[in-house]
Amino acid sequence: MKVFNKVWIAGLLTLALAVPCFAAKIVVEGSTTVLPIAQKAAEVFMNANPDADISVRGGGSGVGIASLIDGSCDVADASRAIKEAEVDKAVSNGRTPKANVIAMDGICVIVNPSNKIDALSRGQVKDIFTGKISSWSQLGGPDEKIVVISRDSSSGTFEAFGELVLKGDKVRADALLQASNQAVSSSVARTPGAVGYVGLGYVSNDVKVLVIDGVKPSKETVLTFAYPVGRPLFMYTDGAPKGLAKEFIDFILSAEGQNIVEEEGFVGLK
Amino acid sequence: MLKLFATIVLIGFLALSLGIQPSCAGEIDILLRKLVDKGVLTPGEAQQIGTETKEQVKVEMAQGKYSSVPAWVQNMKMKGDFRLRYQLDHAAGSTSRVYRHRERIRLRLGVESKVNDKILVGVGLATGLNDGSTDASRSTNASLENGFSKKVISLDYAFAQYMPASGVTLVGGKFKNPLWEPGDLIWDTDINPEGAALQLTRKLGSGVEGFLNAGILVLDELSTSNRDPMLSVLQAGAKIGLGESVSLKGAFSYYNAAKAKGLKLDGTTGTNTNTGTAGGNALVYNYSTLTPAVELKVKEPLKALGIDLPMLAVFGEYVNNPLVENSGNGYMVGMKFGADKIGKWGDWQFAYNYAQLEKDAILDILPDSDRVGGKTGVRAHEAILQFGLGKNTQLSVDYYYGWTIAAKHAAAHVAQVDWNVKF
Repeated sequence: MKVFNKVWIAGLLTLALAVPCFAAKIVVEGSTTVLPIAQKAAEVFMNANPDADISVRGGGSGVGIASLIDGSCDVADASRAIKEAEVDKAVSNGRTPKANVIAMDGICVIVNPSNKIDALSRGQVKDIFTGKISSWSQLGGPDEKIVVISRDSSSGTFEAFGELVLKGDKVRADALLQASNQAVSSSVARTPGAVGYVGLGYVSNDVKVLVIDGVKPSKETVLTFAYPVGRPLFMYTDGAPKGLAKEFIDFILSAEGQNIVEEEGFVGLK
Repeated sequence: MLKLFATIVLIGFLALSLGIQPSCAGEIDILLRKLVDKGVLTPGEAQQIGTETKEQVKVEMAQGKYSSVPAWVQNMKMKGDFRLRYQLDHAAGSTSRVYRHRERIRLRLGVESKVNDKILVGVGLATGLNDGSTDASRSTNASLENGFSKKVISLDYAFAQYMPASGVTLVGGKFKNPLWEPGDLIWDTDINPEGAALQLTRKLGSGVEGFLNAGILVLDELSTSNRDPMLSVLQAGAKIGLGESVSLKGAFSYYNAAKAKGLKLDGTTGTNTNTGTAGGNALVYNYSTLTPAVELKVKEPLKALGIDLPMLAVFGEYVNNPLVENSGNGYMVGMKFGADKIGKWGDWQFAYNYAQLEKDAILDILPDSDRVGGKTGVRAHEAILQFGLGKNTQLSVDYYYGWTIAAKHAAAHVAQVDWNVKF
């Protein structure tokens, strides 16, 4: 009987020690565009919910979706919609990717502030990025070589820009590739003749935002479909979000969460 | 809130009533815009509902694709390839100027079926001999000869694979080689080892993926002894992403064939130290090989110069068998550049390697059968040019120039021109 009691007490102690290990934890991974929203939201959420453990990391939309498919993350941040091939792979792996739109963004075409060009059509932007137009003089500007700055191919911003503007054509081979929106913005700011593209949240006074097809990117023009290079930002889950993932996404969609979205420079849904 | 809920139900009903087709996406957009115009939805809510509905349609279409055919068909994948080869041989040591011309084919057919979420079974058939000769494990060629004779089809692989968790794979049977090697210094790529293996992969951090492979591979079964020779293998490695375009992959492998001594293995080229014909060609040593290997790959290495070169890779591998006093080392160095994979017309890749394999560095039943007859105790250059002829079809030219270390000036030449078709 004594042995039984000892085993029972030991079991209870083990359980007591193990309980903290079962505190809710999720991994959020993916788009570098969505990263600042996810990081800030996780920080505020965990301050209000000390038991919650939300690990947030970047890597790019493709990386996040791949991790969701192989089960190594709970929430995949993406600045582009999931591709059909990714959906097929997810479904064949027994997963059901559920899109949760958490914000909107406009992809802004930016140039160096010294540039006299104010507006372009989507066709002209495409010709610049694919190499058909290589001098600003072909667009009514000075005889200056266009320096094309793009995001790297793992970026969701790159994918969305390719779909909405380049229509599947390739970015010119001599484009300078940058790993983040901030790096694109900085490069354009210090390079006369440069052109690049960044999310609305990364526009600063150091660069000039171009009007595209007669529409300037803003919260209103993105939400009302008027700006042609707008896109949703996603948090994908495997099936409808549940547990801590649901609480976290619900928080981002709440008034407080949407304020964070706006503070980070993106377009809230409310 | 009730209004928003009712709208979501309405949109969902509309999507379902339209048969969940992509073409309904435009109609949903129109409806959402009307609802925004009438003040029922905010623009943000409309974007959220519209986008999530379209994404749901994509997933449901994919699920429909997978559920519209019988389960056993859904879970089965077939693949195969056919190769037509012209080969020119000049054997090592031959003083004759006569070259051998060989016309050969290779056919491989494979089926894989998922039994459930965690178990997969694979079966493959291929041309090639199963007679215990040097080529039996290392070649899938069937020569065009003997008055239109039928060709032998053999069991190339048959395995069951269990995946209890993400990144954990157990496989048993006769299976595709689970070990990573940047070249073919140790393993002929046609060898499908037999036994059991464990494969582990795990993300170790941003851009770093580690892998661990372990296996017990059966070299032979002896009817008169309980000391069956086995090859134990353990390989640990990692792939490290160094920025957007550079990756480094490396592994350290340990092979142990502790019960090989005193045996003559099927498929031997007779180049490991042995007791000679009078002694039954029995192996004099055991084989316990230590092997580090590394490959550095760069995507678009000449982009800064405006040159469109998709990939450049360099690699090296070293082997050492500490159980022998002499002739227990080997190495291969090589490089390749061009397309990473040949997928369409015009894709090309050139590869070159130089290998030295001393006679007792590894078991002589393992190395590339085309490199000086698959022997150990050799040095050889190999150059390969592959060119894409279209989707799933390519032309390749492979040239070996090698010699045995003991007879440096008696070189062997092998040239192969292949037309490959995958299906």
